[in-house]
Amino acid sequence: MKNFKNYAYILLAAASIAACKPVITVPTPTTGSADFTRYISVGNSLTAGYADNGLYLSGQLNSYPSIIAAQMQTIGGPASFNQPLFSTAQASGTGYLSIDKFNADGTPHFVTIAATAVRGISTVTGGPLFTKYSGPLDNYGVPGIKLSDITNPLYGNGNPYFERLLPGNGPFQTQYIDFITASSFTFFTNWLGNNDALGYATGGGGGYAGAGVLTDKGNFSTLYTTLITRLTANGAKGACATIPDVTTIPFLTTVTYGAILAGVQKVAPQVTDIYINAADATGAVYAPRKATAADLFTLTFNSSGQLAKIGTNGYGVSPLNPIETQYVLDANEVALVKDYVNSYNNTIKTASASKGLAVFDSFAFLTNIKTNGLLVNGISLNSNFVSGGIFSLDGVHLTPRGYAIVANQFISVINAQYGSNIPTVNVSAYAGVTFP
Amino acid sequence: MYNIFLPDFNKKIKIYYVSIVFFIYICFKKNLLQDKPIYTIMRRLLLMGLLLLPFLGMAQGFQVNLHGEKQIGMGHTGTGLLQDGASVLFNPGAVAMLPENFIQGGINPLFFNSSFLLAGSNQQENVKNNVATPFNVYGVWGPKNAKWKIGMGIYTPFGGLTEWGNTWSGKYSLISLNLKAIYFQPTLSYKFNDVISVGAGFVIDYGSVNLKRAIPTTPDGQAELDGSGSGTGFNVGVFIKASPKFTIGLDYRSKVQTSINDGKATFSVPASLASSFPSPNTFSASIPLPATASIGLGYKPCDKWLVAFDFQWVNWDVYKSLDFNYGQTTSTLKNTSSPRNYEDAFDFRAGAQYEADKGVFIRFGGGYATTPVKDGYVTPEAPDANRVYGTAGLGIKAAKHLDIDIAFEYEHLMSRTQTNIESGLSGTFATNVFIPGISLAYHW
Repeated sequence: MKNFKNYAYILLAAASIAACKPVITVPTPTTGSADFTRYISVGNSLTAGYADNGLYLSGQLNSYPSIIAAQMQTIGGPASFNQPLFSTAQASGTGYLSIDKFNADGTPHFVTIAATAVRGISTVTGGPLFTKYSGPLDNYGVPGIKLSDITNPLYGNGNPYFERLLPGNGPFQTQYIDFITASSFTFFTNWLGNNDALGYATGGGGGYAGAGVLTDKGNFSTLYTTLITRLTANGAKGACATIPDVTTIPFLTTVTYGAILAGVQKVAPQVTDIYINAADATGAVYAPRKATAADLFTLTFNSSGQLAKIGTNGYGVSPLNPIETQYVLDANEVALVKDYVNSYNNTIKTASASKGLAVFDSFAFLTNIKTNGLLVNGISLNSNFVSGGIFSLDGVHLTPRGYAIVANQFISVINAQYGSNIPTVNVSAYAGVTFP
Repeated sequence: MYNIFLPDFNKKIKIYYVSIVFFIYICFKKNLLQDKPIYTIMRRLLLMGLLLLPFLGMAQGFQVNLHGEKQIGMGHTGTGLLQDGASVLFNPGAVAMLPENFIQGGINPLFFNSSFLLAGSNQQENVKNNVATPFNVYGVWGPKNAKWKIGMGIYTPFGGLTEWGNTWSGKYSLISLNLKAIYFQPTLSYKFNDVISVGAGFVIDYGSVNLKRAIPTTPDGQAELDGSGSGTGFNVGVFIKASPKFTIGLDYRSKVQTSINDGKATFSVPASLASSFPSPNTFSASIPLPATASIGLGYKPCDKWLVAFDFQWVNWDVYKSLDFNYGQTTSTLKNTSSPRNYEDAFDFRAGAQYEADKGVFIRFGGGYATTPVKDGYVTPEAPDANRVYGTAGLGIKAAKHLDIDIAFEYEHLMSRTQTNIESGLSGTFATNVFIPGISLAYHW
């Protein structure tokens, strides 16, 4: 029996060693040839964390730059990353859309969560002004900003999102490009340029008073080169992103010609054509014509109630009362936008390459999702409105999950370019479209 | 270092002890084999709404080989041995050759330590500490000197308990799985002469499954499938005592197709989606628990030593797909068929027993088992991979008619970096399994 005890000890000793968990080797953290001591993000609404047609606290907290920064911090990145957050008391910020129920026909019903961060009315624009942010700043995402605005000294007077970042009450004389480069930084991401095409596209192209304009290609190239030169002037490294194909976003792919026609024919089977006011090949002259599947309708065509008016006084079914051009990005306008976006993207790639910067090709990435969907961690995502999980309720900006995916794409190209190993994030941990 | 604990160890024992430690050491040694290369199988997948319900990657990981402490101690060998009542399972053909009658029972708390590192991440995620309890009970009886014996076995040849939790990166593939299959096997064995005997058992399987996974809505939904079912099969074997020193066993255990009907399916999703996920709902599924064929050899080089070898073939190839049918389906909740496309697996085992003192047995052994799961099909339910294992055991005759046996097993699954073709979950799995066990056997 004495020996039995001894043998039992052996087993026990071996057993206690064996009971440990497996350890999977993780690469030693390295920032490679990059330096993440201070990371700044430059861009528009996508960079600010805008979602659901508004800028609000939880969207800001899930902005792709804040996700990237947090991941950089795990390998010795920036000590802090400051965003112009709305306070928790004003968490709804500028107000945003939410689904409160589904209609009987299965379509979502939206409500607007009221703004809490409006501090007054702008005497310049007549629009709202938002609560000022005066703390330290690393995320310079300004909703609405175009590349063509970055050297405009008066821009802060017209854009309330930029205005809230500027000290004092104006009038302002600060160029965006000076504002972002005022204090030194070692790394940047830059996703400017979307609005130079998007503003035109989401407004249904041109042909009416107040229509968006496409930034001139040459001007875009000049400004982009200026921007990259300034950003890299002190040796900072960074990553830029291309501009997505506007025809891959649900804002322009949800309300389709086929769906409109089918809807009309349910009530009036004799109707065979939908009429729109469309551009000619130059994009300058507008005239009524029959719509085709190549014409894209804006999401606002539905939400503004125009869709429901089809057929009334011949609206949309007669060449005498066509659908207004601001709701249609017609085939010629689509071609025009694609041509400009192509040119912009060539500029972005060339300028980035000349400075050895990483490039996240969002054009290719979102086009691929539009075609093939995206399967990640057991989540099947696609570019559809509401059900797709990537795009938020405005059909242009992303859900937290969409922003996490974008952050991972940026991280991947940064790691590839600079030999760093910033870990990617777990996309499953981020919210998609919230259902009631 | 261990001599401090065991100063009175004699030299011989030390050698055996060192062998045991050596086996353990092998199991510990990481990267024993090179990690598999990453096969990123990208495939266009049809979008199936919010819910893809694949599930239940039953693997080697779900084949539980804990059928008797004496056999576990010797690296799971037993097909060609006459150890005790566990022959009911290992080889019904050997039952009639057993020198005595047995009633015995054993239990093996199983600690399944699996970890996952999401591709690109630096945050390792681990399964929760749950303990599964495979068990075995055997009875063997026959009149003294009769040519026949009858037997009964109750054992758990398949099962799994894996809980990753509802916050890990793969929660949309699996939150937790608790799978049990209990086999009841009445057995009859007949001895033609002192050289050859045969036996057969009828197998009734009672199986149960509880599976949870998150549904990728915001906020997260959850699906829970809970059901039980049954199936039948058989176990036949031949035992040959070629010489007093040399024994051979052959055993075939049939496939047991286990069908679950009227299982309970519960879905909790945001209220606005409730109509898409009827709940409570029912489901049915049919799972093949595969056939195995084994050959085992036993050899007694001298009185105190017994060495054994087993080879097992597992016919996993029958597991082509896992299909779930729901009582109520919607455009979102559809019946599913998930490809599994398993391949046959093989298990090589060796072990030895040494009678250290009168009535005190030291056992050790080990083996290597191949995985039936092909690249691209690895799932978190049982993140399977080729595995190596080492075992050690200790047996003592506590009284004239009573054996106490303890054993422990350590299994190391080769880490495997995979992208699942169905879920897209991409990362590295690593698993260690630690299984102590104890049994009591009364024989007369």
